[in-house]
Amino acid sequence: MAQHLVVYTVVHQPRRLKLPAQPIPRGAVPRDIERCLFDERMNRRYFEKVARTCYHPATDLFLRLADRELKLCIGFSLSFLRQAEMWDEKLLAKFHRLVSHPNVELINVEPYHSFLFYVDIDAFWRRMQATGEYLKRTFGLRRAPAVTDTTEMFMSNDIYFALVRAGFRGALMDGRPWVLGWRQPSYLYHYTKDLYLLTRHYQLSDDVGYRFSNRSWGLWPLFADTYATWVSQASGDLVTVGWDYETFGEHHWKETGIFEFMEALPAELARRGVRALTASEAIELLMPKSHHLPVPAFPTTWAGEGGVEFFLGNPAQQAIFQLMHHVYHKALLTQDPAVIDLAMWLLQSDNLHLIQWFGRSGAQAEVSAYFTPREWWRLGPYGIIHELQQVYRNFLTAMDAYLTREVRYRPGEEPPWYGSSRRRWPRPELPPVELPAAPAAATGTEGRREAAAAVNPGPRRPRSPGQRRRA
Amino acid sequence: MTGKATPKLTADRTEFVLVSFEGPDAYSRAGGLGVRVTQLAQALAGLGYPTHLIFVGSPELPGQEQQMDGRLHLYRWCQWISRYYPRGVYEGENEKLYDFNETVPDFVTGQVARRAMEAGRVLVVMAEEWHTAHAICETSDRLWLAGLRSHALLVWNANNTMGFDRINWGRLGYVTTLTTVSRYMKHVMWGRGVNPIVIPNGISPEALQPPNPRHVAALRRAVADSGGQVLLVKVGRFDPDKRWLMAIDSVALLKGQGLSPRLVMRGGIEPHEYEVLGRAQAAGLRVMPVHLDGTPSAARLAEVMKAHPEVDVFNLKFFVPGPLLRALYRAADAVLANSGIEPFGLVGLEVMGAGGVAITGATGEDYAVGYHNAIVLETDDPREIAHHVRALAGDAGLCERLRHNGHETALRFSWPNVIATMLDRLEFIAELQGLSWPQGRALSPEAAGELKEAAAALEEGR
Repeated sequence: MAQHLVVYTVVHQPRRLKLPAQPIPRGAVPRDIERCLFDERMNRRYFEKVARTCYHPATDLFLRLADRELKLCIGFSLSFLRQAEMWDEKLLAKFHRLVSHPNVELINVEPYHSFLFYVDIDAFWRRMQATGEYLKRTFGLRRAPAVTDTTEMFMSNDIYFALVRAGFRGALMDGRPWVLGWRQPSYLYHYTKDLYLLTRHYQLSDDVGYRFSNRSWGLWPLFADTYATWVSQASGDLVTVGWDYETFGEHHWKETGIFEFMEALPAELARRGVRALTASEAIELLMPKSHHLPVPAFPTTWAGEGGVEFFLGNPAQQAIFQLMHHVYHKALLTQDPAVIDLAMWLLQSDNLHLIQWFGRSGAQAEVSAYFTPREWWRLGPYGIIHELQQVYRNFLTAMDAYLTREVRYRPGEEPPWYGSSRRRWPRPELPPVELPAAPAAATGTEGRREAAAAVNPGPRRPRSPGQRRRA
Repeated sequence: MTGKATPKLTADRTEFVLVSFEGPDAYSRAGGLGVRVTQLAQALAGLGYPTHLIFVGSPELPGQEQQMDGRLHLYRWCQWISRYYPRGVYEGENEKLYDFNETVPDFVTGQVARRAMEAGRVLVVMAEEWHTAHAICETSDRLWLAGLRSHALLVWNANNTMGFDRINWGRLGYVTTLTTVSRYMKHVMWGRGVNPIVIPNGISPEALQPPNPRHVAALRRAVADSGGQVLLVKVGRFDPDKRWLMAIDSVALLKGQGLSPRLVMRGGIEPHEYEVLGRAQAAGLRVMPVHLDGTPSAARLAEVMKAHPEVDVFNLKFFVPGPLLRALYRAADAVLANSGIEPFGLVGLEVMGAGGVAITGATGEDYAVGYHNAIVLETDDPREIAHHVRALAGDAGLCERLRHNGHETALRFSWPNVIATMLDRLEFIAELQGLSWPQGRALSPEAAGELKEAAAALEEGR
């Protein structure tokens, strides 16, 4: 019977695109291209709504629960952090308090919530490593996070080794039967001993994440005592549950009782002898008895049915995916960090997620349609697809000027008419994807190894729970 | 007699918002629309109405500006896009249009309407031309969502037929009251299933000032001294609708008839110019491009004309300032405002204002009555122009009568007079739309939320 529970929750808000697509002036500087690509007005509206219904009350809840010894793992996308920086500093301060709580572990998350791992695995691992340092600085931590999640909990063989290379100690992945085979999700796994895998118990996770407020679910209403019993009765060493942070107050409104459920959960777990751990604690504790798990060649994700078809299962998604390749690689050609940064935002998995419904029906399609901004629907389904593609096409065309040196203003220069008092999307702090470097540093395996060693000190030393607390 | 009293749109109870692509900046002027909205805004502010003019402004000038003791507010929209398109308002048109549609409605609702209505004033939003059609529809929706729609009059005005195929007439006609500038336009728009109210264009007080007699005399003398007998003037874009070829052919005809005409013309940058010059060359006319550096004046132009007696057509390649233009109108035997398709015909009216004789087309120039205050053409045959010019040359009494009556007519179309008519029409529109007067009341929480959102959007940057 499982005696340990790892609760992981991820906070993310997409950077939604501006539809219908806005034409981009030829020779536009990145700042102006950005205005044309992203609908910050809409983003702000959604952000403020979710902050009201979820982020503030849920963070208050988790701060209380952390005080009552509930261990929690939390991850943030860069997309969310930047929106919070711009539009809700109080919320950010609240999250700072939560992350610095000894019972809370910060999980590294792919910063752009992007499909970079599919487009450029080399850039992916470097970006993941840089994100750890960014999070460390942002939250004032002594060490960069040791455990990581990826975009939508994607995991595959190449992603696994990219994470190893980035120096992480553990990673989260979804425990789907087609990946685990005869295994149960409620154990600690590894493929190599360099990176341990916490496999999310998708059924127990979805009982809360998806089904909690569903009145047609046979087991509705779900109470904390029942849920704690299910967790305790799971065979194995530990149950890892993973939820969107928005589960609390947004996906399930306050009126559904989701907050009361969580308030009651720690005591019910304790009553059944289930101890909550952070991800690092779980790895430390269970590492000696971790089990071998072949990591799949085809990626698994916590979205949809657990396979990549959730994001690439229809022709519209595949077309956008191709455009993602085009914008990313063309952005690399410009060698302009700000342009590359824009391309990274266009690689957001949300741009595929939000059109999952195209040509489909059923519960998953309904979920993705629910997440599609309501303002887009006036374009109609085909209009949304067309305009979404147009955003990418416009950006591709806008980059022409960078490759023919026709940009009117120095890249990164801000036109003088922007009011200095106006708040703006901060410049990316993460280092841009490294471009092919000078021949001496880039050519040859040895050179690459040296370059990697310079930025990657190797796997981190295991830490004890006590060390973690002191940190 | 009972009945609901018609609201009085007085200056202390009414605020105007003019929405247009064109505006007062040199960057923003492409045709008559820029002149119209600039003068209308100034005239309204001059009459004491708080007036806001939103237009695609020069990127080099301030984003917002107040004039006329704070009564006239200029908002230069799309400046961040205009920076990439320095050649004028319609360069980068699609980019600007998107931005305009996305941001103007929130601004009007969240910023201007809220303040006006909190101060107990109704808002009159007048949008001009097809570029603003979508924005005004969205503005109506947002005002409605904010619970403010009943306190606003929304009017959309057509100055031209351009872009008519891009307008959702059903929606536009439902959310606004349509207006246009002439009965001709009204008939054109009937064909679109809507029935606009005609509110004519106006002319500025400057256009009614008599031109400097010395300048007029200098130009007349230049024509006479160089052997010319008839001075004709034509001003407009090089557009086939303006019937430039007809004008050129008529000059050739008059020359052939021994009248020794001189045509002073000023066109735009449109490619039709080359067709016009080709026709002049084919007709045996000698054309001279005239470049005057510095400040062009009647005296300098007269010198050029006098120095080139062999030239039939002087093609002005410089911006003609108002005083010189009015002097030319007054000095000419006739000004060829002979457009084939003319929504209103501002040039004809300005000619009348300057005391000139206008030869107009027969479409939108409601103000022109043939042989009373102008010559009105019935055909596109150059012989008709030649016929009328010969008649004018031989009948000083007719000329005098046309000039006098024309000036009287122009006076009636000065902006203050036009605005008086417009206010009558707007009060009728207010009745149609069921306007209710705001009481400077507190907004409902829902409306306040919407407005806060709109204000945030503005803060975020348009």
